[in-house]
Amino acid sequence: MSSKDKKTTHQVFQGTLDLIVLRNLATIGPQHAYQIATRLQQISDGLLNLNQGTLYPALVRLEQYGWIKGSWSKTETGREARFYAITAAGQKALRAETEHWRRTSQLIERLLVEGTRA
Amino acid sequence: MIKHLARAIAKIQGLFRNSRVEEELAKEIATHLLYLEDEFLRQGLSPLEVHRQARLACGGVEQVKQAHREERSFRWLSQSLQDIRHACRSLLRSPGFSVAAILTLALGIGANTAVFSVVNTVLLKPLSYPEPDRIVQFWLNSTEGSVPGASIPDLRFWMQHAEAVDDISAYDLGEAVLGLTSGIPEEVHGVHVTSNYLRLFGAPLVLGRTFSADEDRAGSGKVVVLSYWLWKRRFGGDPKIVGKAISLEKEPYTVVGVTGESFRTDPEADLWIPFQFNLNSDNQLHYFGAVGRLKPGLSLSQANAQLRSAAQAAQRQGLLPDPEYAFVLEPLRDAIVRDARASLLLMQAAVGLVLLIACANVANLLLGRATVRKREFAIRAAIGAGRGRLLRQFATESVLLSTCGAGVGLGMGSLGVHALLSISPGNIPRIGVGGASVGIDWRVLMFTLGISLLVGIVFGIVPALRAWGPSLSQSLNEGNQRLGSGSSQSTMRSLIVLSEVSLSVVLLIGAALLIRTFVALRSVNPGFDRHNVFLMEMSLHGSQFATTANVARLVEDTRQRLAGIAGVEIAAATCSPPFGNRMGLPFAAIGTLSGNSGSTGDAEWMSVSPGYFAVLRIPVVRGRDFNEPDGKGAPGVVLINETMAKSYWAGKDPIGQAIEIGRGIGPDFEDRPRRIIGIVADTRDHDLSQPPQPTMIIPLAQEPDGMTRLGLQFDPIFWLIRTRLEPHQVAVNVSEQLREASGGLPAGRVRTMDEILSHSIARQNFSMLLLGVFAMAALALTAIGIYGVMAYSVTQRTHEIGVRMALGADRARIRNLVVGKGMLTAGLGVIVGLAAAAFLARFLAGFLFGVRAWDPMVFIAVPVLLALVALFALWMRLYG
Repeated sequence: MSSKDKKTTHQVFQGTLDLIVLRNLATIGPQHAYQIATRLQQISDGLLNLNQGTLYPALVRLEQYGWIKGSWSKTETGREARFYAITAAGQKALRAETEHWRRTSQLIERLLVEGTRA
Repeated sequence: MIKHLARAIAKIQGLFRNSRVEEELAKEIATHLLYLEDEFLRQGLSPLEVHRQARLACGGVEQVKQAHREERSFRWLSQSLQDIRHACRSLLRSPGFSVAAILTLALGIGANTAVFSVVNTVLLKPLSYPEPDRIVQFWLNSTEGSVPGASIPDLRFWMQHAEAVDDISAYDLGEAVLGLTSGIPEEVHGVHVTSNYLRLFGAPLVLGRTFSADEDRAGSGKVVVLSYWLWKRRFGGDPKIVGKAISLEKEPYTVVGVTGESFRTDPEADLWIPFQFNLNSDNQLHYFGAVGRLKPGLSLSQANAQLRSAAQAAQRQGLLPDPEYAFVLEPLRDAIVRDARASLLLMQAAVGLVLLIACANVANLLLGRATVRKREFAIRAAIGAGRGRLLRQFATESVLLSTCGAGVGLGMGSLGVHALLSISPGNIPRIGVGGASVGIDWRVLMFTLGISLLVGIVFGIVPALRAWGPSLSQSLNEGNQRLGSGSSQSTMRSLIVLSEVSLSVVLLIGAALLIRTFVALRSVNPGFDRHNVFLMEMSLHGSQFATTANVARLVEDTRQRLAGIAGVEIAAATCSPPFGNRMGLPFAAIGTLSGNSGSTGDAEWMSVSPGYFAVLRIPVVRGRDFNEPDGKGAPGVVLINETMAKSYWAGKDPIGQAIEIGRGIGPDFEDRPRRIIGIVADTRDHDLSQPPQPTMIIPLAQEPDGMTRLGLQFDPIFWLIRTRLEPHQVAVNVSEQLREASGGLPAGRVRTMDEILSHSIARQNFSMLLLGVFAMAALALTAIGIYGVMAYSVTQRTHEIGVRMALGADRARIRNLVVGKGMLTAGLGVIVGLAAAAFLARFLAGFLFGVRAWDPMVFIAVPVLLALVALFALWMRLYG
């Protein structure tokens, strides 16, 4: 679906996107899909090429895990939007996933460094 | 992992509120787009461009929705539902095709279900006893075949030496009929058993007990165990019946127990009474069956080995009863279904072939449809349906068809099975009264479901392969040109027709062989005149018939009464009428016999009253017939048949020779020496397909008392009446006279000799009928198949034919072209079928009589018939 990625930007892995979304919701509070998408583009300085549609499967997945919860309410401009908030289970999962991610990336980093020395 | 569980639950919940989720999703995306549009407006794009860019940034509205759907639900499930919906729609769009296909399959599956439900009941269902696989039947095997009969010395030997078998019990073979004389007299199935029989079968009891070991001893009192049904029907379910006496053959029997509702035995029984025979007897008569239970932990082959070595040990010491037989144990179920197994399996195989032909026809129909739908599939592939998805679509359609077929077929099958059983000869074991035990159970359902899936895949795969074949663009192009690729398609169709034709040949040859067998059996001369003769039977039990003299007096008195009835020509009585039970006995010649048989031999034995040979018009070839003076006090006489004369007195004159029947086989058979006074013509009165056996016939009045008693215990006496009018016109008067002569005993079961003869070949008749019906169905389906393929090939070649005609080919030439191709296919099919039939015919050999398995007439007539049918189908296509 997203084979048109430009070379200078990065594609996100499924699990990573979940983590980023969770982190974002934990930091900022409830947001709707457009807000999440814009926010992700902002913090990645445009390096993250996110087809905004791909956010939806991630949201449905997280919601089915019970990590976030969506509910309808009015935006400041008066539009009806679905706001997603992180749940207690989501907080817990965020901590675990973050820990897991750190360990994995450290490991990979170490392996890569070892590789250049050899 | 808890998150996966939570997700699965969420997905399942999602199944039930799909439309609300869809609605919300649409709303959510709409809002999202509005924000994007705002953004792009701020960036200064034109309103038109804004609309497009917003959707691009989002990745396409429908795509997002689809991604959402796939993420939130079970993809395979939603796709399957989609496939099924699509398949339903597509089948509904062409109702003609769907109805034809479903009906064809329903017929095939229905017939298979019907036959299988009988096979299931007879061959597959376990017997309804505890550990039924451990119950074994004792058989006596010899080079001439095997019999389930046992004598008292056999039973004694097994009880002492068959260490691998517990609870060895004896029971009456065949239908044991007893007169229940409490209240309105009625004949019931009363089976003699030894005391452990009911325990062996784990008989549940609603009242009382089963027999005790004491009750096995002769003279220990008359007791009876009632079946639940007889107890309910005749005794109103009397809860206090235990200890009361009921009357059997006018003698009182004390009820000791009533069995449970579900308890059934083979032979069927309304009540059981103990044999009470003397276990020390030397009676060599084999008149009961024996069963037992394998000791825990022993296999059947171990038990058989043990029995064999015990028999060998006894034989060395000369203590083995029946040394000419080998004792063999066989699981009871196999013993019960022995005769029916082969013909049931034959029917199942035949009906399976019919289903294959039905499949071929439906595959043919589907193939035709696949051609029409080529473009549809090409387009679906072009817009992104994968090959796998298309195959699944095909499979879904064909399985849907076969499932519908199976649904209709199941209904047809459960009706069909009762039609089937109503024409069956009624000698199929285990099916209950009128086939009551045959029904649809889980095995039948699994079978039907199984074959419908299998069938769906078998006929679905052909068009699916077809879709797999050529590339997309080719299909798209072909659709436009209506030319090309026809060749691979028509090869496929020719192959289908070829296999249909060859399967039909196999079935037709089988049916034709059975028809020839039946005709041959019908035309066998039984050696007696079957017309205008009828038979009635009367059970003679009790002390007044304990001596031969009393029975003979009754017979003589009755014969005179019957002779006085208008329309009766002559009457006689016998203990073993044509196609009834017959005993085999040894005899010793006083003097020598021909050949190397020394001075003893074996022959069938029967006793008859004067007039027997006149009633059946069996000629006395030499010597004289019995007459009234051949009574008790007169010198012993015997008649023999031609086969006996030839077997034992070849080249000599047996008349005037003396023999002694049954010497040394027990006091009951003690007989005086008899002089042979005549030779009667041979008859085939046991089995029309078997050659006559050596037979000796003695006057009923000269029968030893012991034999009379023994015979009447198990069999009634049979009256044979030759009439001048239609038998049924005099039957009422005859039965009235019989009742009066016997002092009020009921005489029953009027059967004409014609009926008895037809009944004796009813099994062959049934096999022939059924296989004939299957073969005709196969032929009809094949004709339709040939017609369909020709229709297709003519349509396909319209263009070619047009060109040929424009170039000057005349109609006859074109016709020959089309017919030639069709006949070539049919011809190849016939050759394949003949080869298969020649191979398979050997399995039919056991069913045949008077015709060889490779009967040239059949092997010529069937191909000719098929060629004619093929021509007819082609002709219908060209001119119809």
